[in-house]
Amino acid sequence: MEKKMNIRTMPQEDHLLNGHGACAGCGVAVAVKNVMRILGENTTVYVPASCLLVSGGGMYPHSAFDVPFFYSAFENTGAVISGIKAGYRRQGKDVTVVGIAGDGGTFDIGLQALAGAAERNEDVIYICVDNEAYMNTGTQRSGSTPFGAWTTTTPVGKRVQGKRQFKKDLMSVVSSQDIAYAATLSIAHMNDFVQKVEKAKSKKGFRFLHIMTPCTSGWKSDPSMTYDLARMAVETGMWSLYEIEDGETRVTYRPNEMVPITEYLKLQGRFKHMSKEDIETLQGWICQKWNKRYCPAVPPLEKKEEELALNGDHCEGV
Amino acid sequence: MYEIRFHGRGGQGAVMAAQTIAEAAILEGKQAQAFPFFGAERRGAPVMAFARIDDKKICDKTQVYEPDMLVVMDESLLDIEPVAAGLKKGGCAVVNSKTAPSDLDLGIKVRCISVDATSIAIELLRAPIVNTSILGAMVRANDFVSLESVQRAIMNRFGEKLGEKAGRVNSDAAKAAYDRAREGTCRGERKIVKKNAWLPTWQETPPGVAIGKTEKAGMAVGPGSMSQNLTGTWGGANPVYDEQKCIKCQRCWFICPEGCVHRKDDDHVEFDLRYCKGCGLCAKVCAKEAITMRKKGASE
Repeated sequence: MEKKMNIRTMPQEDHLLNGHGACAGCGVAVAVKNVMRILGENTTVYVPASCLLVSGGGMYPHSAFDVPFFYSAFENTGAVISGIKAGYRRQGKDVTVVGIAGDGGTFDIGLQALAGAAERNEDVIYICVDNEAYMNTGTQRSGSTPFGAWTTTTPVGKRVQGKRQFKKDLMSVVSSQDIAYAATLSIAHMNDFVQKVEKAKSKKGFRFLHIMTPCTSGWKSDPSMTYDLARMAVETGMWSLYEIEDGETRVTYRPNEMVPITEYLKLQGRFKHMSKEDIETLQGWICQKWNKRYCPAVPPLEKKEEELALNGDHCEGV
Repeated sequence: MYEIRFHGRGGQGAVMAAQTIAEAAILEGKQAQAFPFFGAERRGAPVMAFARIDDKKICDKTQVYEPDMLVVMDESLLDIEPVAAGLKKGGCAVVNSKTAPSDLDLGIKVRCISVDATSIAIELLRAPIVNTSILGAMVRANDFVSLESVQRAIMNRFGEKLGEKAGRVNSDAAKAAYDRAREGTCRGERKIVKKNAWLPTWQETPPGVAIGKTEKAGMAVGPGSMSQNLTGTWGGANPVYDEQKCIKCQRCWFICPEGCVHRKDDDHVEFDLRYCKGCGLCAKVCAKEAITMRKKGASE
């Protein structure tokens, strides 16, 4: 079997060039830079309104991508990449079309265009770079913001402190359509990252990559903590790494032991107000997710047989 | 009408400073406005903010092109931005710097106030956020508002947002800067080169506004043209690489958000410091501590 790609063997040529305007220590820049290295020069990029648009893509007439770059309205990433792919198909060109949207443009605003493209199983790659709020406009709450986090629209007051809702499970929304490939990625698990992007590139049909990208200004963390945050998110269970291929879910990295969520929260300013009860609520939610993800309950076989027998579907041995 | 232009870096609080000085003027019964330059720049990037103060109603809504007062919140901006462009002959400049005004070169010979606002901010606020200290130096440069109203405006603005203690500390920083500021005249040897910018006119606009890789008005436009922004001036630190310790794992190459880390043929790496923003991620992921971050200006 051919050896899997890793960070030492991946392509080295940059297609998101240096000189882009992202903050120092930007997680989105790390993710997109490496995605573009793997996708290569035969790629067309679409970015809706997001940090990546103003920092990397489209300060017209400048662009940090040295491949064709396109942008349009916030909500239609799924629709535009479908159209670009259709145009190339008509011209008889085989080009990788990728749409890179933020969490606001995916979880909230772009969800219907995304669901449409997934349902039609368009031959495109959709990447969600998830920094858990609308960071480009100055940290407003999105469907991706975790419980308890401060944002400008979920401020910390006397009665209510931070967001009261839990993070939306976008992967189950997207993978409920039978799409070709879906995976969650983290910039801290580098070889895993590279292999998943490579796999997405090689497949046909709708491919969805969900990347966790820490944000220094919105999470109120030090620029050098971007890597640690991405790693701790996986170790604490805030983020889990898996891929869904042909309807089969496969966990690609499983932490040895669950790290208490406080280890992750204390690295960030957006959680520093959190009360003990709130932390317990969040930890409870994570434990539920952890069990669901890493300890799949074995279906109780006897009971099933019993049920079948009662319904009269089970003939043999009754 | 008295016009002020602030030059700072994203995160230093230039916008807050402009708003506070406007509020101080309003507290004295004057008319004022304050607004930032709307750009796409991020933390550490050069940014601008503007303020106007007048006794009568201000109808002018444009950016400030010919300021009466220039405020430079980071001395290193003098080398990379044409900060003094349009500064009026009889105007004045306030610079955050350790050096005396007579050693500063702004490119125009004007009355200059220098104050070491960074030290004051670190001493009193324990963070290098210089906006409140620079406000004190501004009052020293020109008493268009009184120090008392500036301190009251700081209390209103910061006290409300961050608590009363933070407000008091910030207003103390303004007072300290007022007392420690040094007056003088700066030199005018530097040549002020205005940045050129190109945008297509409507006749030049191509179908679908798509632009290929080309050069216009002496600058690159189109795909990949952002690499002419040398972002290395944003950061405060640079990586130092020890080739002996390196095990060629390439983790630093992967994690660098700027693409400053280049792989050599033998898989050792080298750093392109022209673009390094000094985030320190490469040093963080290095398992062998082959990379350390060194503050700019620190000795070898």
